Amino acid sequence: MELKKLLKQTALIFTVLISLTSHAQIKKYSINGTVRDKQTGETLIGANVILKGQTGLGAISNAYGFYSVYAVEGAYQLIVSFSGYSADTIDIALNKNLEVNIGLQKYKTKLQEVVITSRKKLNNIANPIIGVQKISIDEIKNVPVLFGEKDILKTIQLLPGIKSAGEGNSGFYVRGGSADQNLILLDEATVYNASHLLGFFSTFNSDAIKDVTVYKGGMPAEYGGRLSSVLDVKMNDGNNKKFGVSGGVGLIASRLNIEGPIVKEKGSFTVSGRRTYGDVFLKLSKDSTLNNNTLYFYDVNAKANYKINSKNRVYLSAYTGRDNFGFGGNFGIDYGNLTSTLRWNHVFNNRLFSNTSFIYSDYSYRIKIKIANNDLLITSKIRDLNFRQDFQYYANANNRLNFGVNITRHNIIPGVVTASALSSFNNLELQRKISLESAAYISHEWSASKKLNITYGIRVSMFTALGPGTFYSYKPNGDVKDSIVARTNKAVATYINPEPRFAVSYLLSKNNSLKFSYTRNVQNLHLLSNSTGANPTDLWIGSSNNVQSRIADQLAIGYYQNLGNNMYELSVEGYYKDLQNEIDYKNGAELRANENVESQLIFGKGRAYGIEFFVKKKFGKFNGWVGYTLSKAERKFDGINGGNYFNASQDRTHEISVVGIYQPNKKWTFSATFVYYTGNAVSFPSGKYNVDGNTVFLYSNRNEYRMPAYHRLDLAATVQGKKREKFECNWSFSIYNAYNRENAYSIAFQDDPADASKTQAVQTTLFKIVPSVTYNFKF
Amino acid sequence: MKIVQVFILAVSVLFLVSCTKVVDIKLNNALPQLVIQGNITNEPGPYIVTISSSIPYNVSNVFPGIANAIVKITDDSTGNIDVLTDELNGNYTTNTTVGKIGHTYHLQVTLGVQIFNATSTMPKYVPLDSITFFTNTGFGGSTTNPLPNFQDPAEGSNYYYFKQTINKRVLPTNFVVDDRLSNGRYISIQLFNDSSYIKKFDTVQLEMRCIDKNVFNYFNQLAQLNDPNGNQSANPTNPESNITNGALGYFSAHTRQIKKTVFK
Repeated sequence: MELKKLLKQTALIFTVLISLTSHAQIKKYSINGTVRDKQTGETLIGANVILKGQTGLGAISNAYGFYSVYAVEGAYQLIVSFSGYSADTIDIALNKNLEVNIGLQKYKTKLQEVVITSRKKLNNIANPIIGVQKISIDEIKNVPVLFGEKDILKTIQLLPGIKSAGEGNSGFYVRGGSADQNLILLDEATVYNASHLLGFFSTFNSDAIKDVTVYKGGMPAEYGGRLSSVLDVKMNDGNNKKFGVSGGVGLIASRLNIEGPIVKEKGSFTVSGRRTYGDVFLKLSKDSTLNNNTLYFYDVNAKANYKINSKNRVYLSAYTGRDNFGFGGNFGIDYGNLTSTLRWNHVFNNRLFSNTSFIYSDYSYRIKIKIANNDLLITSKIRDLNFRQDFQYYANANNRLNFGVNITRHNIIPGVVTASALSSFNNLELQRKISLESAAYISHEWSASKKLNITYGIRVSMFTALGPGTFYSYKPNGDVKDSIVARTNKAVATYINPEPRFAVSYLLSKNNSLKFSYTRNVQNLHLLSNSTGANPTDLWIGSSNNVQSRIADQLAIGYYQNLGNNMYELSVEGYYKDLQNEIDYKNGAELRANENVESQLIFGKGRAYGIEFFVKKKFGKFNGWVGYTLSKAERKFDGINGGNYFNASQDRTHEISVVGIYQPNKKWTFSATFVYYTGNAVSFPSGKYNVDGNTVFLYSNRNEYRMPAYHRLDLAATVQGKKREKFECNWSFSIYNAYNRENAYSIAFQDDPADASKTQAVQTTLFKIVPSVTYNFKF
Repeated sequence: MKIVQVFILAVSVLFLVSCTKVVDIKLNNALPQLVIQGNITNEPGPYIVTISSSIPYNVSNVFPGIANAIVKITDDSTGNIDVLTDELNGNYTTNTTVGKIGHTYHLQVTLGVQIFNATSTMPKYVPLDSITFFTNTGFGGSTTNPLPNFQDPAEGSNYYYFKQTINKRVLPTNFVVDDRLSNGRYISIQLFNDSSYIKKFDTVQLEMRCIDKNVFNYFNQLAQLNDPNGNQSANPTNPESNITNGALGYFSAHTRQIKKTVFK
């Protein structure tokens, strides 16, 4: 088989390369271990471990805090550093393989804190991966947000190349891709709907989150399945030294977090909860049109880990969150995610680190309708079972191999309608869609020379639509042409795609570098949505006999410079992205409760290109960043705009974001953010006519108009309360949209109610100035 | 379900935000386009075909009628050919056409060198039994909507069109529904209206039409375009007409019935 041959050849090339780059065999030993926070025992991801004076001999701790370095026999000083922590130096006598576990001390004062850090001190220069940015929760807490709810998804939207899906919205677009092209992982589990309350809040309770990494391009080969970006969110492990309780009371929601050791130094747990309470106020109302409504959401994150011995550690993490909404007794919807991950870290030897994961991921919604004698229940679910095996092989100081496999079984229940006997609707059960998505990958991180770092690899992904079920093919007008009945586990359509990944960095000097990358990503799950807002009932479908894999090829080039003794970081990245098999909808497409939903789709292509500028001041009383993006995103479909390229709706020519944080003393922190972007591309009427005595608007080209430009200033101030031995607290005040800009959420056209002979455009603004206050505590 | 819209309403009530204002927007002027609209019903004729033109967005709502077209309606079932009388104001009236259930009608409009064709078949008559009302309560108000009640035939696909008149005010929204999810059921479906909610002792008149599939598609797309609640399609486009050659509008042969009820 072709695939086998390809894998064999790839393996051969890797073997040759690694043996070429290996040095002659002198007696060499390894030092490995885990880097942790000294107080809490929380593992530190991306800590920098180097041997003093030995250039090139160093490592970065992986997602589990694990590191491994090599050197010839001798005496060394091991220097371990991590942003926001004091570096530690450890004397080492290396005459055998050593396990050295390191605890780093967090800075006492917050003044040194930076807002968004790179993986290591000079990592933004040397790391070949383009378009990666990492945020730690400590680091985002100063950025003002809507209603004072700290939100990682809204904070990443302040980075160049990442665009907000709309006012106050946690949905985002990366480099011209659509909202469903972002892979959102919470402890490796896919989160299908990362937002609450129509997108105003993200599902990530910042209390429970340790680390966030976002890849806008150049994704490492272990990630796949989405075209535009990877958002890798890691939950806290919990304090393994002592019990602690922290929480916050805000305008919208309250939060509580409990953590502590299971067995001191060996295992810990953490549980975080968050719930909104707007509905509690509704209940207090005497107005029956208000107090019979429901509107809330909650999140629960829980995680436990236990170190069996120095070679084995297990982690169990779980998340559940749900929105619940009821409109009187007539209409109700609830929806949410459930994920759980069981992981086993195993250190085979000082060179080979393994992680095995079993992941369950579930998204579902339920709609209840009770209007007159229509009593309906509509349910839908997507359920994934996922197995991952990842290896990291530390071949030598200059070579690291990452390889593994991943198999996911998707079970999509698109919709089940249960109707009462007197209802106007029939019972309906749309066919379940079963599919198998698997991938094997290998990637080689290679320090070819002191100046040249290369990461390259390949991911081979395979997607199979499986029976049981009836599979239809369609005529161009959407009518059924033919159908086949497939038995259980019969492969109906299979897509195998090699996804090459290549990234290189070249150091021009110690402080500046050039990078280049090429990445292919393939996506086999597609979100169908033809309304203006994100909708919890939007439908996921898999690739099938009618729908092919979507493919994105991205070329990126970047220049990186650190200035003023690393006080300032500057980067310029340019990208070009080509998209195949993009999906759009036929006129009047019926996506709801439709067995033949695939007949409602049309397929085309897209392209996106742009340039992103980013300048950051990392330290000092005043820090922050400025990002600017100049970009274009276009799509092309037969039958739309005469088959010519048109602007994708998320195409925004200019986008500016400014973040400033000022900490004059230990007590106060002030911050401000400003955003400006060109309005979305939209279709407005270019004329009007009359049908049945009513005005109907005449449309011409797709997305030929623009919404008004969007801009907004947010301000925040945080004051620390008196610090007592066992209790800490702070008050946080923020103002969203400080100068009360009336940004357009939507513009609708209608007859003037006062004068039927005229028409008018009506703009809706969602949030004018919104002040808020939050109280946080910890003991 | 209009989830998005309900959510926005809920968020607005809860957080006391959201506001609207009339804005000025510079729009292009598309070239005038031809609009043809023709209805044949099971009620006695004459029936009217109107031909008009689209106008720029920013002028008053006066839609010029187009005269001097040659308009023909052929009854495919009887072979009767009717050349309509040009009233010179954009209206053309039939002379010999008789609307009959099950007959297929063919419309041909010749204007200069351009020829436009359309075909529509008058579907089976489905009787409207009654009109009832339902009051939705929630988030700071209650709204009453009418429900037509009728038995959907089990055989074939059926398509329905409703037009509401509240105290002689014809609502600008048309409501269409098909039996895709309701085949053979006794249907009572809530007709959403614009902001003019029904009050006690209002007279509500419903016109129910049984329409064919192409006409349903047209009005279904039109409804998405003209949703008065701002729950618009992400990509508004002109509804697909059953008339050839790029004309806007529709040609429909349908059954028609009217019922009136007072809301008490």
